[in-house]
Amino acid sequence: MALRDRRLTLARPAGVRAGEFAWNALPVFTGVILLLLWEVGVRSKLPAYVARPTTIAAAIPSVIVTAGFWSDMLSTCGAIVEGVAIGSIAGAVLGLLMGRVREVGWFFTPYIRGLYSLPLIALIPVLVLVVGYNDKTRMVVIILSAFLPVAMTTADGARAVSKSFLDVGRTFGAKPYQVWFGIAFPASLPHILAGIDIALGRAFTSAVAVEVLASVPGLGYTLYADAQSLHDDVSFVYVVALAAFAILVRTGVRSMSGRLAPWYRPRARA
Amino acid sequence: MTNETFASRLERFRLRRAGPIRLSCYGLSVGLLLAVWQVVGNDFGILFVPFTKTMRTLVALVADGTIPAALVVSGKIYLLTLLIDIVVGISLGLCLARIRWFGGAFEPYVYLLYTTPTVALVPMVFSVFGFSTGPQILVAVVISVFPIVFGVMEGTLSIPSQFLDVADNFGSSESQLWRDVIVPYVTPFIMTGVRQTIALALVGTLVAEFFLDTVGIVGLLAEGATEMNPAQVLAVTLVVSLFAIVLVGVGELIERYLVRWRYETVG
Repeated sequence: MALRDRRLTLARPAGVRAGEFAWNALPVFTGVILLLLWEVGVRSKLPAYVARPTTIAAAIPSVIVTAGFWSDMLSTCGAIVEGVAIGSIAGAVLGLLMGRVREVGWFFTPYIRGLYSLPLIALIPVLVLVVGYNDKTRMVVIILSAFLPVAMTTADGARAVSKSFLDVGRTFGAKPYQVWFGIAFPASLPHILAGIDIALGRAFTSAVAVEVLASVPGLGYTLYADAQSLHDDVSFVYVVALAAFAILVRTGVRSMSGRLAPWYRPRARA
Repeated sequence: MTNETFASRLERFRLRRAGPIRLSCYGLSVGLLLAVWQVVGNDFGILFVPFTKTMRTLVALVADGTIPAALVVSGKIYLLTLLIDIVVGISLGLCLARIRWFGGAFEPYVYLLYTTPTVALVPMVFSVFGFSTGPQILVAVVISVFPIVFGVMEGTLSIPSQFLDVADNFGSSESQLWRDVIVPYVTPFIMTGVRQTIALALVGTLVAEFFLDTVGIVGLLAEGATEMNPAQVLAVTLVVSLFAIVLVGVGELIERYLVRWRYETVG
């Protein structure tokens, strides 16, 4: 709601000020309009197999009772959680080293920055040749898509640890491990969490892409297969499930940032 | 005692020779990569090739016009995507921030679209629009437009209210307000968004080519993968990496140039 508060402080009055209730109802109202437009547009102009809100809603009960739906869900979401966890921990460790030890930073910068710039989807054909058409390729891609952003942001954060913190630590005779875990790690924590947020966004895209391109069974694969056999409504139920999980996890990480590092206030969303 | 002198001498050496150490770190890391690639490539079997063979294939593919032709196809999609991103992103961001009812009505849905993994929406785009260049650009735009939208929106919303009040008290018209306050204040935010979008538009272009119509540079990648031709896959991947790194670098330079005053005052 912070956004709305700031919008109210703008000097320009925006016509008639709507009441609080009307203001809260506004997104619901646009939501209904958008759904109606979608329904009517598809119904009047497009072939019957194209998904529209009513057919999707009708498909939900029959899809979520199938075992395939839950095994796909478990396979893809499990791989994302596992891969992002591995990639983030590895990325945070390397990022801390890169940020605190200059030579390590210099050595790894070409790899991390180069691979970070490169869309990971372009690596899928190479990985498929080397790793194979299986879920190991998916795991490698998810780990990479978490590892790179977390290593980048953590290195930036660790490099920017306030010099006065380190001076205070030295003055009080902090041992090296105390400097690492007592000063550098907590100071970089918000950057690590910001990296994990980026990582999750990339991991979802990578997971779906790799499932389709390397024929790995999972949500993304089934979603494409259903669409190809003209079951667009079933396919869209998968999209909704995937989006719901994505929103849940990313909201969780963002709220964790406020809990674990309450002193940190980012100026603008990345 | 000797330990401590060694440590302090090492520290002095690290400080005095920072430049050469830095260069040798870079050199060592790239050299190591190429060496490992070469050795692994020779021993891996038929699905991976050494660096030297990859370079020979790359030169051959460039010389016979295969890679340049593919780059023209992909480049067209990329540039159109970027252009649409900038125009749509800036307008949408400004509307969300400055038009109160519009922001209230559509902001949640913009976030929803942003958080949904766009790759999952490609089958829907295919069903509705088919797989020609137009739908490809649509997919690429949906993947890459959001950094500009949110950058512009955040920037516009964070204009300090004193600025707006002062402009208001001196009787600024809306057009003067835009020219003198909003546009200068928001430019750095736009550029941060544009920098991220320059990189994401490449992701969008590749996704569009992978999933809608396998043409251009992805066409060559897919051809190499299905024909089990690792030299071609590696050569084309190298080209894509090169473009990615150059584009990200150019984006950073443009941002630095356009908002150089920000670096000067903070620096």
